[in-house]
Amino acid sequence: MLEIADIVTAYGKIEALKGVSLSVAAGHITCLLGPNGAGKTTLMYTIAGILKPRRGSVRLNGTELVGQRADHIVSSGIALVPENRLVFPQMSVEENLAAGAYLRRDTADVATDKEKLLARFPVLKERRAQAAGTLSGGEQQMLAVARALMSRPKLLMMDEPSMGLAPLVVAEIFRIVEELNRDGITIFMVEQNAHMALKVAHKFFLMEQGKVTFAGAPGEVAQDDVIHRAYLGSMKVT
Amino acid sequence: MIADALQTLLNGLAAGAAYALLGVGFTLMFGVMRRLNLSYGATLMFGGYLGALLMAKAGDALPDGLLAVLAAIVTVAGAALAGLYVERLCFAPLRDRSGVAAMVSSFAVWMQIEALASLLLPRHTNPYPAPLDLAPLHLGALTLRAEHLLTFAVAALLAVLLHRLLSASRFGLALRTLSDSTAAAQTVGIDARRITLLAFLLASALGGVGAWLVLVADQQVTPMFGMWSTAKGLIAMMLGGLGSIPGAVIGGLLLGLVEATGQALFGPQVRELIAYGLLFVVLVARPGGIFGRATVDLDAAARERL
Repeated sequence: MLEIADIVTAYGKIEALKGVSLSVAAGHITCLLGPNGAGKTTLMYTIAGILKPRRGSVRLNGTELVGQRADHIVSSGIALVPENRLVFPQMSVEENLAAGAYLRRDTADVATDKEKLLARFPVLKERRAQAAGTLSGGEQQMLAVARALMSRPKLLMMDEPSMGLAPLVVAEIFRIVEELNRDGITIFMVEQNAHMALKVAHKFFLMEQGKVTFAGAPGEVAQDDVIHRAYLGSMKVT
Repeated sequence: MIADALQTLLNGLAAGAAYALLGVGFTLMFGVMRRLNLSYGATLMFGGYLGALLMAKAGDALPDGLLAVLAAIVTVAGAALAGLYVERLCFAPLRDRSGVAAMVSSFAVWMQIEALASLLLPRHTNPYPAPLDLAPLHLGALTLRAEHLLTFAVAALLAVLLHRLLSASRFGLALRTLSDSTAAAQTVGIDARRITLLAFLLASALGGVGAWLVLVADQQVTPMFGMWSTAKGLIAMMLGGLGSIPGAVIGGLLLGLVEATGQALFGPQVRELIAYGLLFVVLVARPGGIFGRATVDLDAAARERL
């Protein structure tokens, strides 16, 4: 579904991505693991069109996305749940959802989708008129997911959805990820929590220092080694 | 005595309604960019000078009513155009980069526009066409200038329209997301460049209307008008709370009231002094402004709930 080939993205002279290639299959949960600073978030922002790569290609079902504006990429069916959730703190829960559907013109369906999502996330329904900045971390994460779903994505990209959340909330987030996937949404997820990620993933990639260094399916390989590298990078493996 | 106090109140609110428009324009710009546009007042002055220029060149040839209407149009349009120029020159190229550089370059444009204005009309005081040659209204012991009535009506109408625009339109939604979090706005596909440009045009036009109302009441424009309207807009914005549009309206009205009261009690020479004194007191007592929805409070609330 998503084919990424030889992507190079740089901040000034520093190349954060040094030729990344990977693919995300339709209907799968694909996880991208790797230590801090490996370039995982940079890759997410590059796919979303918010960062422009120096070279390389990103294809969604064959259509080239590099060079397209971020709003076109959202419209073509890719939604990003960004790192640190990034809800609109002063806007209400409902307004956050409306913002997620900003590019859609089918007003009536947007209203129906909003009610459906509020029914799916009862915590959000309870707080629909409350400013998003007053929600707890877990609630904000649910809101960020719901906001992304408002654009009716085919591919949902999630950047570190479990970051800073209590274990019970993390379990809830992963339950939602699996549920969304069963509903037919392809998931591409960056995750630090390698244990949880390997439980839900169909396929995973390991990224270190701007490159994909390993790809596989959970169960195919010794998980301990992958987890070790995901947290610490490869230099420690002896 | 009570009539005097009411008269002061009325005068203060009339001045304050114009200040509110100046403050709202400033707030809209600050909200979407998180940058101070120091040339704001200068762009409004540019519009005012176009109106005065029209009167100087064609004042004798045109009937008074038409002249006044045309002056209003060139003032608002001139302010919007000058605002567009500032946005393209100072703010669009430096997006997400140096905020200080953008602010300093907007200061340079301020000087540039002032120089241009004094080339267009070298005299210090230039007559500005007034639309209403009406006798003041007398309500019992109170006197209401026709210009003040106009100010109330126009400011109230614009406040309602702006509220509708921000709360019920797609553009309003985009503008609010951008003021709330630029990074988040990008992820939902909002084109920050386009929305910022449109917000700048809107803010400059609103400021232009505010400037027009002041100039119509003063019937003159001077090169000091740029500095003056930047100061009034900035104080209105800061009093109400950075980034809050209702706050800027309240801030403007409060500024007008306090100035008028100060003038009634101590004479016109303390008017400006009182305005800056008020700003000082409010910033010391409530640094976020009177209606500032300080984000710090929201963060703290979120932490407590974790």
